[in-house]
Amino acid sequence: MIKVTIDGREIELEHPVTVLEAAKQAGIAIPTLCYFEGLTPFGGCRLCLVEVEKLPKLQTSCTLMTADGMVVRTETDQIRAARRSMLEFLLINHPLDCPYCDKAGECELQDLVARYGPEAGRFAEGKRRHPESFDDPIIVRNMERCVLCTRCVRMCNDLQGSYSISVTGRGSHSFVEPFSGGRYDCEYCGNCLTVCPVGAIMSRLHRHSYRPWFVEKETETVCGFCGVGCSMVLQMRENSIIRAIPRRGIGFNEGLLCVRGRFGYEYVEGGEELTTPLMKVDGELRQVSWEDAVSFVVKRLREIRDEFGGGAVGAIASGRCTNEDNYMLQKLVRFILGSNNIDSAARNYYAPAELYLERIFGQGITANLISGIANSDGVFVAGGDPTAINPILGLQVRSVWRSGGRVIVLGVPGGLKRFIPYELTPVPYSEEIVLSAIVGRLLEDKPLRGENAALEAKLRSLRIPSDDELGATGVSSEDIVRVAGDLSSMTTPVVVIGPDVVQRKRASKSLFLLGAIAYLTNARIFLLAERPNYQGLLDMGCLPELLPGGRPVELEMFRHKTEEALGMKAPEEKGLNLFEMIEAAAAGRLKALYVMGENPLFNIPDSAKVEKALENLDLLVVQDVHLTETARIADVVLPATAWPEKEGTFTNLERRLQRVRKARRGKMASYGRDDWKILADIAERLGMTKTYHRVEDVWEEIMHVSALHTGLGYEEIAGGSALWPYYGEPLRGMEGDFPVEGLDELPEVTVPEKPYLMIDRPLYHSGTFSRRSKALLGIHPGPSLVISPLLAERHGLSDGDKARISNGRGVLELKVKLDGDIPDNQVFLANTFEGFGAMGLIGFGTDSVLGSIYIDDNTVRVEKVLR
Amino acid sequence: MERFLLKNIESPGSADIDEYLRVGGYASLKKAFGMEPADIIAEVKAAGLRGRGGAGFPTGMKWDFASRDPKFPKYLICNADEGEPGTFKDRPILEKNPHLLIEGMVISAYALKSERGYIYLRGEYPYAKAVLEKAIAEAYGKGFLGPDITGSGFGFDLSVHQGAGAYICGEETALIDSIEGRRGQPRIKPPFPVNVGAWGMPTVVNNVETLANIPLIVSMGAEKYSAIGNPECPGPKLFSVSCCVERPGVYELPMGITLREIIYEHAGGIRGGRELKAVIPGGISTPVLTPEGLDCPMDFVNLPKRGSMLGSGAVMVFDDTVCLVKVCWRAMRFFEHESCGKCTPCREGTGWMRNILERIENGFGRDGDIELLQDIALSITGKTFCPLGDGAAGVVLGFIRNFSEEFRYHIANKECMVNEGA
Repeated sequence: MIKVTIDGREIELEHPVTVLEAAKQAGIAIPTLCYFEGLTPFGGCRLCLVEVEKLPKLQTSCTLMTADGMVVRTETDQIRAARRSMLEFLLINHPLDCPYCDKAGECELQDLVARYGPEAGRFAEGKRRHPESFDDPIIVRNMERCVLCTRCVRMCNDLQGSYSISVTGRGSHSFVEPFSGGRYDCEYCGNCLTVCPVGAIMSRLHRHSYRPWFVEKETETVCGFCGVGCSMVLQMRENSIIRAIPRRGIGFNEGLLCVRGRFGYEYVEGGEELTTPLMKVDGELRQVSWEDAVSFVVKRLREIRDEFGGGAVGAIASGRCTNEDNYMLQKLVRFILGSNNIDSAARNYYAPAELYLERIFGQGITANLISGIANSDGVFVAGGDPTAINPILGLQVRSVWRSGGRVIVLGVPGGLKRFIPYELTPVPYSEEIVLSAIVGRLLEDKPLRGENAALEAKLRSLRIPSDDELGATGVSSEDIVRVAGDLSSMTTPVVVIGPDVVQRKRASKSLFLLGAIAYLTNARIFLLAERPNYQGLLDMGCLPELLPGGRPVELEMFRHKTEEALGMKAPEEKGLNLFEMIEAAAAGRLKALYVMGENPLFNIPDSAKVEKALENLDLLVVQDVHLTETARIADVVLPATAWPEKEGTFTNLERRLQRVRKARRGKMASYGRDDWKILADIAERLGMTKTYHRVEDVWEEIMHVSALHTGLGYEEIAGGSALWPYYGEPLRGMEGDFPVEGLDELPEVTVPEKPYLMIDRPLYHSGTFSRRSKALLGIHPGPSLVISPLLAERHGLSDGDKARISNGRGVLELKVKLDGDIPDNQVFLANTFEGFGAMGLIGFGTDSVLGSIYIDDNTVRVEKVLR
Repeated sequence: MERFLLKNIESPGSADIDEYLRVGGYASLKKAFGMEPADIIAEVKAAGLRGRGGAGFPTGMKWDFASRDPKFPKYLICNADEGEPGTFKDRPILEKNPHLLIEGMVISAYALKSERGYIYLRGEYPYAKAVLEKAIAEAYGKGFLGPDITGSGFGFDLSVHQGAGAYICGEETALIDSIEGRRGQPRIKPPFPVNVGAWGMPTVVNNVETLANIPLIVSMGAEKYSAIGNPECPGPKLFSVSCCVERPGVYELPMGITLREIIYEHAGGIRGGRELKAVIPGGISTPVLTPEGLDCPMDFVNLPKRGSMLGSGAVMVFDDTVCLVKVCWRAMRFFEHESCGKCTPCREGTGWMRNILERIENGFGRDGDIELLQDIALSITGKTFCPLGDGAAGVVLGFIRNFSEEFRYHIANKECMVNEGA
């Protein structure tokens, strides 16, 4: 126990902390500028000086550790004079342009000077000058205002791991800049904006358009971009979002946001939102009233159900919509229309991967705390770049490296490149061989513990590749020894699984092998989630085989429980999954498809095939925020509210339930409706007896119907600790045996002449919403084909040239971007920009075990377009 | 007196290893290998050697701290970033007697159980770099550096790391930052480098002259060594004497010699027989003395009693033709230029003071400027991150304290009190 006296108050401390922190614990506030909670102490601003008995000089309380018996004073004449001097010094080179500076009103320097003086400066010489920089699309730098607290540099290096800015120059001519000047070569996370105490680094969004005290309303909500679910505050003025900011103390993201979360919100008020329902009349979409649209949908759904049976109806749920929205869609389709044909784009990888891993290990195997990753001593990443797909999770992976742990990435490391000791990039589609070799090597070090008999039995019959077979992958046996050695030495490892490993042939085997690595090393598994509510829509029963809460629909005992709770009947047989629905539509067996918040025409491979299938439907209803590619071919389009206009809950990839709150009214307040409300209206007209008045009513029903969510009210969810397994019991334990495809086989490795077209998952765009955000477009304005310098040279291409890629599915012409970090036999294209989606040129097959798709036949011919 | 550190530097080829060996070089190393590392540390402690870089910290104590830290590897860094105006005392060792430094470093490394050393050399010493690199290559060739030094089983690697011109990198933690490839800025202390230094490992940073004393202590023994100079801080000391003297240069003299002896007996007295006006005893960051201070012994004990410091032992002598406002302004220009920018008072205060001094010097001084300067200097004093800012403030306070009439004259008459260049 350490006893210190601060301002006459005795404080007892369990562990030594800094004097500043000890004072804070005692409620004594010491003014600071360069200090920022969570960043390494700096000790530069000299504002937090305190007197310590027996020490001759004033001490910086942010760096001085407490010691037993220390006597500290924080407010004396000497200290006040010192503070006044430091502020006078700071103002020497700080332009007094407060009337013009956007920071005024929330500027720490302004506040400090107002409080501690001086009233007037004595500096009568010229100030330094440095031009304001508009090099960046969304950030403006005014280094004349910089007080060199270096909070931004420490944030960028120590927490974000971007290492993009540094202090250049010396003395009062030091400026915070990208090392080589010009534009930031950075991730535009904007976390430097959070920590800048003055107006030196500012957002260009809403520049000079408001003052901090104009904020009329703040809404605490959860980000709508990815499956991490960062908490944020939306600051509103006149029904418009002024800023999305993180706040320490709310959410687990500890005051950090990524570029999409912070700057991407503009899509909701870009002016392209749907304002009225549309209906196809004479082959053309026309504006109609809600009443006309809804009654038409009801009439057609009833007719189709009555004529062809419930099985002719299907629905696609949405990872962007809330649990309540998805639950209601599921209820409409399953219990009103009598069809289990409900699925979502989570089928692309998330759903099959999670369901398969749960078959091996039991329900909840991927429900691990994101914030715990940083405490782990090693990470194995396969199938995607967490720093782009789930950026804040990616930061946790980076911090493992920072605290001395080891990060291993199978595949192109992307944003983890600086954080790995070596690369492990096998030729495409040979990951399975490398994983088999790693598992084979691990089995030599790690004994089988007998905890999972089925898995261990399969490990015994796993075919381990010979050195020759391994050699074809481009990974050597020495690499495998090193990787396995590193994995063996980890005591608290983490396995991160991304989409790419799932979208491969024999995905069950890759997942099994990753599961085996996790099993052998005792790792926690994380499954990257591209959408904010993939997990929630699974839990809400938006799956052909599972009811809300994960009850299998085909097991009568479980189905019966749900039916009893609801007083309604569900079909006994499982329904069609996403791809089966597309097939069924093409074959004419599926007649009606209800699409909520999804764009299958763009987000499922082989767009031409999907379009044909959808055109074949008798009824296509699309409920969305914008007129998407799919909406354009729909029979009815229903405008829905967007994320900041919704009330409800999201379930993130760690299965944390969080409250989404309404910050703004929808633009079309008199027409526009929440997804769940539209669905409930249709369900009522189709015979549902229950009426919901508020979104809470929907949640109450979910609590009642889903065994997982029993007793978990909104109030508790809002508290932030609605964590798996909630109050429910996991429904399914290990199920005994599970199938794995090709345990005793290894794929043949072929390197085709033409490069593979791979799906790029860039940081700045995560789908079709981000392409409507002006800020994100400012950074990443249009489609580009990412290509290695060698491949570019082979085709006579240089950065910015136009290339044509083509295969049997189509032709695209677009600009190339050279990237030295990607392999020569692959080209990357994001599935973001209209008319330039990668999915269009990618062929797929269906995995017999997982029911997921695997990418197949995705080579493209690359040529230079001559002008 | 007998010279130890600069012994033999007049002979041609003094930097060559053969010449060094001819006059008994590397004999101390051989003797050291016959001793236990702990005994060497004890001997250095007993010798009372205090660091020659300026702060005068007891070397033996520093070594003791580092050797008690259980972490390995340990690093030994020679601070050869001799950047303070007026200071050039390490240069003759670096350029003329590099093997003495190397020998000193190998002995020190052996005592500290360090296997890796660096010489952090001032960027503006290209000739010294060439000499040192040649000497290091020679030492490797003769087996005085490398994996198994003269069959002792002890290995030590040494290389030169050249600075890029920042004065702050002479501060040991900034120096370590610089070696690690970072922006050179002082680190928070504690932890001190003896525990958490280069790459987080225990690191001893010693000045060139300090390390050059080590072979001497080993060969003479602590008792004999401590008989040289002032017994409170004994040993030979290098003084670099510059400005208005007849024979500027580096003088090796016993610690505790008076300024008067240095200037008038060794440096040939004031240039042209003029009158002494002021003397800076230990480099630009030590407060100036008036001729009344001439009989003060030059050591770590007595100079502080007169309100100054020994610093690096760079004696700057000014006669009655020198305008001290100008000296003060020039000094402040240096500090402003070299302030690293980390802490507020030094970053902003040095520039402010330079502005005011420049104004006064150029005939634009105002009433109240002197008081303002003093107030700024006092606002800096004791509040900066490292001693650079304190040094800058001390210079202003020292000049104003001792020569305020010259400042007042400047402000009132808008010209110098002295006839410069007379």
